Amino acid sequence: MTGSSAIVSLEDVHVFYRVYEDASVGLKGLFARGRVQRRYRTVRAVQGVTYDFHSGETVGLIGPNGSGKSTLLAAMTGLLPLESGRVMARSRPTLLGVTAALRPALSGRRNIMIGGLALGFSRAEVSERTGAIIDFSGLSDAIDRPMRTYSSGMRARLGFAIATAWRPEVLLIDEVLAVGDQEFQERSRERIDEIRAESGLVVLVTHNMAEITSTCGRVIWLDKGLIRMQGEPDRVTSAYMSAISTR
Amino acid sequence: MGGMVEDRHPLLDLSEPQSVGSYLRDVWRRREFAVVVPAQDLRALNMDTVLGQLWHLVNPAMMIGVYFLIFGVVLDTRRGVDNFLGFLVVGVAMFHLTQRVMQDAGVAIPRNHSLIRSMQFPRILIPLSTVNGQTLAFVPALVLVLITLLATGERPALRWVLFVVVLAGQFSFNVGAALISARIGAAVRDFNQLLPHVFRLLFYVSGVIFSVDVFVTSPAWRRAFALNPVYDLVTCARWCLMGHPADAFVLAGFIAWAVVLPVAGFVVFRRADHLFGR
Repeated sequence: MTGSSAIVSLEDVHVFYRVYEDASVGLKGLFARGRVQRRYRTVRAVQGVTYDFHSGETVGLIGPNGSGKSTLLAAMTGLLPLESGRVMARSRPTLLGVTAALRPALSGRRNIMIGGLALGFSRAEVSERTGAIIDFSGLSDAIDRPMRTYSSGMRARLGFAIATAWRPEVLLIDEVLAVGDQEFQERSRERIDEIRAESGLVVLVTHNMAEITSTCGRVIWLDKGLIRMQGEPDRVTSAYMSAISTR
Repeated sequence: MGGMVEDRHPLLDLSEPQSVGSYLRDVWRRREFAVVVPAQDLRALNMDTVLGQLWHLVNPAMMIGVYFLIFGVVLDTRRGVDNFLGFLVVGVAMFHLTQRVMQDAGVAIPRNHSLIRSMQFPRILIPLSTVNGQTLAFVPALVLVLITLLATGERPALRWVLFVVVLAGQFSFNVGAALISARIGAAVRDFNQLLPHVFRLLFYVSGVIFSVDVFVTSPAWRRAFALNPVYDLVTCARWCLMGHPADAFVLAGFIAWAVVLPVAGFVVFRRADHLFGR
């Protein structure tokens, strides 16, 4: 294994979910034995992924819905309890999920503070960067409006601007870049290149094959929680496209 | 992976649990999050209303008004207590703070599920934010309680200074209660359906709306009441503000709960900290 500059290393990672079944139990089921077990179902979202991510890479994750892409991304942050396996990393990856911390009723400006604090920065550090975040998001006219008045594209722009304001070493992106307009997509691509150039790592989940080939140096094709194929973007995406067209 | 490789680039194991020391350092480093976010949430709460932020004052004022109307004017019950309105308002305000903290904390983890799934921070900040938010929201109520006491004939005494200590003790108790409530509420969703009934029961056995001293005369039973933290809390608060009697058992109970519960809560909560992402 060429681990000379591994920045994130996945070792036989398994992630299972236990979810409540929404099926109606009925009176009969209510009195049947072992019904508690039957109300749960185990979803094997990721079942044995081993991979070394290297610094200075942009890696695309592709695969059909439910193939475990988003779960794998969440597991890379160490946020998800693993069933088994290990996630090793040089520094804790930042998932571009800062929008989950933002409050729709509050203005964009107040949300920059909340997002920055959620990322672990102090009030002073956030204040210092607020101007730059507003500039990058291109939302200076709307920044004092409540966030719920924003379009999904505007929300994604603000989230991206906050999450990348401190140039994380490892950035994980779960399908957001396609939301912004052409100009913002251009700017976010530049920022991704910046992070990669500082020998960081960017991993992005997307269904947009054009984005994959234009942004990524490597591609991983996930299928049913396992790596089906990985390598050159052109090779993997064309194999993936022909697989889904013959299905 | 080869050993040589790992030596050159030491990777940290993200699946390994954090030590207590580094966990607490992390909490301290992010303390501003647990203050700013609940404060902003409070702002957002009444943003669309006509009265806006005034509701934080109007709400407790209306609560006091209703109690005044029912117990002061309509029923005119004294139930063996001088200044019954003051007695009632102190009890109800303190009781409600702890109730809101526990009920809010019970749903805090499920409500912040997407935040937990997408960002790394010590999960304890979520119930701590709940306590901070409810404590902030309690400040206007507290001011009105003091005004009510002055308006009903109580006079400030040196004992009022000790009330600050009682509030600190309640805060400490609330932190522990919130951590335990958050932990149980995350594991067993049924808990949040049960909690309002537990508090309804507590409301009647904690001397919130009647003086336990008047109804319970056996010393053994009074000692049993001292095991109830909410009874200890309201009794200590009334001793400070109104000079009502509080015995050593109540005081010992209050201190014990305020010291033990946050420690127990921390242990209970941290044990499940890594599981909350599910």
